[in-house]
Amino acid sequence: MDKPIRRVAIFGMLLFFGLMIQVNYVQGSEAESLRNDPNNARQYQNVFNSPRGQITAGGEVLASSSLTGKDNPKYGRTYKDGLVFSPVTGYFNGGASKVELAYNSLLGGTDKRITHQRWFDTFIGKKAEGANVELALDPDAQRKAYQLLRNGTTRRAGAAVIDIKTGAVKVLSSSSSFDPNLVAPQTGEKGVKVLEQLDGQRGVIQPLIDNGMSQTFPPGSSFKAVVAAMALDELGMSSSSTVNTGPLILPESGNPLPNSHDGGSCAGSAPLLGAFAESCNTSFARIALDAGIQKLHDESSKFGFNRHWSIEPLVKPAESDVPLSYVDANGNKVTTGRDGTARSGIGQENVRATPLQMAMVAAAVANDGKIMQPYLVQKVTTKDQKTLYEVDPKVFSEAMKSGSASQLRDMMRAVVNEGTAKNLIGQNIAGKTGTAEQGAGLPNARWFVGFSPIQNPRYAFAVVTEGSGDGASGAGPIAASIMAQVRRK
Amino acid sequence: MTSLGEQIRARIPYQRRNAASLALLAFAMILTLSAFAEVGLARDGTIPSGLFVYGGGLVVLAVVAYVVQLKYAPYADPLLLPLAVALNGLGLAMIYRLDLDTSRDRKVAEMAGKHFLKDAADVPGQLMWTFVGIALFVAAIMIMRDTTRPDAPLSFTPKTAQRYTYLIGLTAIVLLLLPIVPGIGASINGARVWIHIGPFSVQPGEFAKLFLVVFFAGYLVNKRQAMSLIGKKVGPLSLPRARDLGPILVIWFFSLGVLFMQKDLGTALLYFGLFVSMLYIATQRVSWVVIGLGLLAVGVFVATQLPFMGHVNQRIDIWQNPTPYYDGGCLLDSGKVVPVNPNTDLFKAAKAAGSAFPGQSACIKLGGEYSDSAQLLKGMFALGEGGVLGTGLGQGQPWQTPLSFSDFIFDSMGEELGLTGLMALLLIYALIVQRGMKTAVAARDPFLKLFAGGVSFVVALQVFVIVGGVTKLIPLTGLTTPFLSQGGSSLMANWILIAILVRMSHDARKPAPQSIQDEGMTQIVSTR
Repeated sequence: MDKPIRRVAIFGMLLFFGLMIQVNYVQGSEAESLRNDPNNARQYQNVFNSPRGQITAGGEVLASSSLTGKDNPKYGRTYKDGLVFSPVTGYFNGGASKVELAYNSLLGGTDKRITHQRWFDTFIGKKAEGANVELALDPDAQRKAYQLLRNGTTRRAGAAVIDIKTGAVKVLSSSSSFDPNLVAPQTGEKGVKVLEQLDGQRGVIQPLIDNGMSQTFPPGSSFKAVVAAMALDELGMSSSSTVNTGPLILPESGNPLPNSHDGGSCAGSAPLLGAFAESCNTSFARIALDAGIQKLHDESSKFGFNRHWSIEPLVKPAESDVPLSYVDANGNKVTTGRDGTARSGIGQENVRATPLQMAMVAAAVANDGKIMQPYLVQKVTTKDQKTLYEVDPKVFSEAMKSGSASQLRDMMRAVVNEGTAKNLIGQNIAGKTGTAEQGAGLPNARWFVGFSPIQNPRYAFAVVTEGSGDGASGAGPIAASIMAQVRRK
Repeated sequence: MTSLGEQIRARIPYQRRNAASLALLAFAMILTLSAFAEVGLARDGTIPSGLFVYGGGLVVLAVVAYVVQLKYAPYADPLLLPLAVALNGLGLAMIYRLDLDTSRDRKVAEMAGKHFLKDAADVPGQLMWTFVGIALFVAAIMIMRDTTRPDAPLSFTPKTAQRYTYLIGLTAIVLLLLPIVPGIGASINGARVWIHIGPFSVQPGEFAKLFLVVFFAGYLVNKRQAMSLIGKKVGPLSLPRARDLGPILVIWFFSLGVLFMQKDLGTALLYFGLFVSMLYIATQRVSWVVIGLGLLAVGVFVATQLPFMGHVNQRIDIWQNPTPYYDGGCLLDSGKVVPVNPNTDLFKAAKAAGSAFPGQSACIKLGGEYSDSAQLLKGMFALGEGGVLGTGLGQGQPWQTPLSFSDFIFDSMGEELGLTGLMALLLIYALIVQRGMKTAVAARDPFLKLFAGGVSFVVALQVFVIVGGVTKLIPLTGLTTPFLSQGGSSLMANWILIAILVRMSHDARKPAPQSIQDEGMTQIVSTR
């Protein structure tokens, strides 16, 4: 009986070999695909089992994790003044947006930069803790901006302030907004519902889409800063060049393109500075017509229009556009014609811009033509204050010549001193007003885009609010108050 | 030419290997205590009190078992006891770890009047059963005396069992049928393999397994000459006589009967494999194996064709293609699987209609067979989570796997100990099996050879069926994972099994009985 026992023993070993091969296959080769299986809830739950890092700004903790006292989720997420800061912090509930999304692996502690540094902790089984993310934001100015925007209109409003020398985003504000506390992990199913509800909102007010950088508006006359830059840079003009400010008949339709007023500089002819300060539509429409839509498109591209770019990993501001053509409701491609070009020159037609984009235009003017790459996150540190990441300011683009920028600065100062924004004299800001029609029955997009202080500018800004009336009164005072707060720092 | 057994016995130096056994036992204890310490350190950063209660308890029991083995079976194989202690200790640590996470669930379940075994890990219960198991080990070692003196007064040896072959066979059948008896039988997790005695749940099948091995060994030892020699030759196969084939057919029908009535595929597979292997050991005829496998194939085929056994069909389908069944899938007659999980409209409609089990109701409406692969897939996700090195004890989320403390404890181990840990566990099982097989080879008596061989193979087969099931190597059927799974019946039966092997290995490894006189060959009296 020994021989069959030996054979059965070998068969028994083969059974174990089979199991070993299977276990090797499952845990060795299949593990990755099992972890990412769409049915596998663990991949979403794991993120709640370790404390997530903080998001801070100016010494204030804006987002932090705390124990919920439950097994799942083990950690919740608390946002200070969620409505104010959500355009930058975003939300986190397994899914994430904005900085919570861009720095997810660092905040969650799974980033290689953390795990490698803490390999010994990992080895002895201590979970790496999430790193802290410090924003460039000025929290007081952000609060002020939110308050002013919310009081400024019942519809949409947005504001962006950037440091012209570094690109640091000091304010990125939106009204409407949402409170990320309502969708944080601790709210569970309820939070998911709220998020679905926010996401499903159709119409003008979409709280999840911030109006600071994720929403575009027609820039109206504030876009004349780009057209003026083109005139100075590309068309050989200077701020004292005489331009025709008289009435303009559009070449294709034969309809007149009106000025807001026909007195002052807009009475027939004026230096470019005067036409800019008083925002004469006809002169800028003529400049656009002379240059052609392609040139205008190229010029705006230098400032960051017409392309997708990331402000932080996975966070892309909405694309600002000066389109050469567009696709209409029936799916036909419509090329921007001569009339369209003229209207594009005054920031109408299909020209769209985000407040952040317009702040970048102003930054180019204030910073001798150079735009620094905007950023939201200043640095990332571990719990024990080791720096894992620190922003390295980079040039975004050389949008215009230094001399042209200098002339354009004077033109923007003139807007406040003698032009359309005289109501802002003494507020230490300079810029360009804009009042864009958004179509029949819709309120205007009221802009004020500029820089501050007037002499030796440090910050560039853009404010847009929707409502009746013009940019000078609808956005200017808000910009002035925000900038007063920003300058205090 | 001397037999292999003779050769092995000739090479065994008849040494007592108790020091080696003690060293291995100490290692098993260190392993267990480290496991408890790691659970505590990972969860709270401190040495857990459970280390002293549960780990300490196991250490005390293991030392007692060792001392008894030292005294009553000093020549025993040194590996068997430490290997069993290591498995039991690791299982206890895992259940302790799961208990910390699921004790709240259990309390809720108890308040709702449900039985704890069904709902959550229970480490005090498992320690108690470990105590009972090791007590049975100790008692078995002490009761079973010297195999060579079966007629000594008040002695009971494994060999004694041979005398009661048919009585033991009958007992096995009664044990197997008990769960079907209304009143005491209970269906848990779809298989009717439990009986309730007072506050306890017992799986009589675990014990029936041992009784069946004894019955097979006794029957086959008696019939093996006839079975291996007499029969008609048809081609390469030599067919047995009907009177020899009869009992096999009875067992075959019986296995299928168990399968039908209890929906317990794992046990049916276990018995059948056990019987075929023991038949082969006894007769040394491959034709018996071929016949056995043929009968199994026919049985499985018939089972899959019968409409009321859609269960079997589905298990196979789930094994090959589990994804559509996740959280509920409906197998239609056409062979198509329609998902009826909570995300589907079918499910929502049934729920809106007020059904308590919307997935099942929706499936019945479609005219299909309902099943759910979430168990299997969640177990696989646990394995995936563990990867090669595992999350570390106390740092994974094994409680997310259903039955993480019983049927799926191997996956829980895989999550926290990783591939590395599972390979170690499989090696421990393989060593137990091989030590048992070695004992079988070294045993001097045909009945004991068959007994030891059968007992060892049943461990191998059981590990293969359950571990293969939870790792998706074969279709999933419910069985306990020896020594790891939570549950008293399994622990008790397996400790008795180890005791039998320890006793047999002692008998096989001790010096041969001295001849009474050595003046001349004619004087030798042997009891063999």
